[in-house]
Amino acid sequence: MEEYAREPCPWRIVDDCGGAFTMGAIGGGIFQAIKGFRNSPVGVNHRLRGSLAAVKTRAPQLGGSFAVWGGLFSMIDCSMVRMRGKEDPWNSITSGALTGAILAARNGPVAMVGSAAMGGILLALIEGAGILLTRFASAQFQNGKESSVQQHKAFVVQCLLMYPALLWSKLSPPLISFQVCKKSKQSCT
Amino acid sequence: MEGGGNTTTKGSGLGGLFGAGGAGYSHADLAGVPLTGMSPLSPYLNLDPKYLVQDTDEFILPTGANKTRGRFELAFFTIGGCCMTGAAFGALNGLRLGLKETQNMAWSKPRNVQILNMVTRQGALWANTLGSLALLYSAFGVVIEKTRGAEDDLNTIAAGTLTGMLYKSTGGVRGIARGGIAGLTLTGLYALYNNWEHMKGSIARQSL
Repeated sequence: MEEYAREPCPWRIVDDCGGAFTMGAIGGGIFQAIKGFRNSPVGVNHRLRGSLAAVKTRAPQLGGSFAVWGGLFSMIDCSMVRMRGKEDPWNSITSGALTGAILAARNGPVAMVGSAAMGGILLALIEGAGILLTRFASAQFQNGKESSVQQHKAFVVQCLLMYPALLWSKLSPPLISFQVCKKSKQSCT
Repeated sequence: MEGGGNTTTKGSGLGGLFGAGGAGYSHADLAGVPLTGMSPLSPYLNLDPKYLVQDTDEFILPTGANKTRGRFELAFFTIGGCCMTGAAFGALNGLRLGLKETQNMAWSKPRNVQILNMVTRQGALWANTLGSLALLYSAFGVVIEKTRGAEDDLNTIAAGTLTGMLYKSTGGVRGIARGGIAGLTLTGLYALYNNWEHMKGSIARQSL
């Protein structure tokens, strides 16, 4: 991982989709391993088995819903890059909001607005942190040689910031509840 | 190699044009050089033209950069690609299944809903399955690459086999064996396909 440059636009969708799937599957794997371990009957053997079963069933699911999020986000982002002809934080913020809205579309307009607001704010926070970090880093390294390192660092920190936020939003249903759980109405577990 | 035998007449014509006519070279030697665009083989070139045959891409790279992208850089792309492919094929399969299952229903709203449900469910299922397979494969690939410190098709095959084994690891020894063999076959075929041009090239060169 010497230097992480983002892909050019149409391919970025695939890339983001994969990144999101990875984040979701790994995060969900860890979370479900702990949860399955604790929810199983007493006895290490039972607990390990329960943990494994939970990971096997739930981690890919979480990965999948993350992938939907990432892919949709990136599709909107790329469309905006194309339409506006520039890449800036507003693109990500708008696409975050739109993604939130679209994925909450089945839960009614109120949920859509709330979800859009959350998505926009989340992405604004992440972008803001990225900008601050880049500023900070560029104040540290004055010579332009380090620019790729800076970008790389900024990107990593952005990912690190985004990760718990997305995970949290995924594990607590109201923000981006995509699962088709209309029937039981209260929980998506 | 690419020039084949069709350049013999051209080569001789050029040799005649430049007068000198490559001293030590027969036309058969000159024939191997692809004549592309504005710079045909100069008769003053003091080289065995066989060495000029290029069968690999050559790029100017920044210092320290690898020639190809490593597995880590490709991992997300692989996973995303697998996920999306899985979603597409799963949706198709869902459509097929849904149509088959509701064959004798009238064209009505419940039928549409049922088909749609099938499509989304199958799409998600396939996407998740393929995505997690790709995730495992990429993870194994990256780990193997880093531990070996080398990157070739052996990594691909090993990662594929391990992925198959791990994916089927809950199915007992037989399941593990089956998964491993499946992974081995698939990645072996992929490696063959990937090297097809290269292998063909080397065979052709041996016969040259």
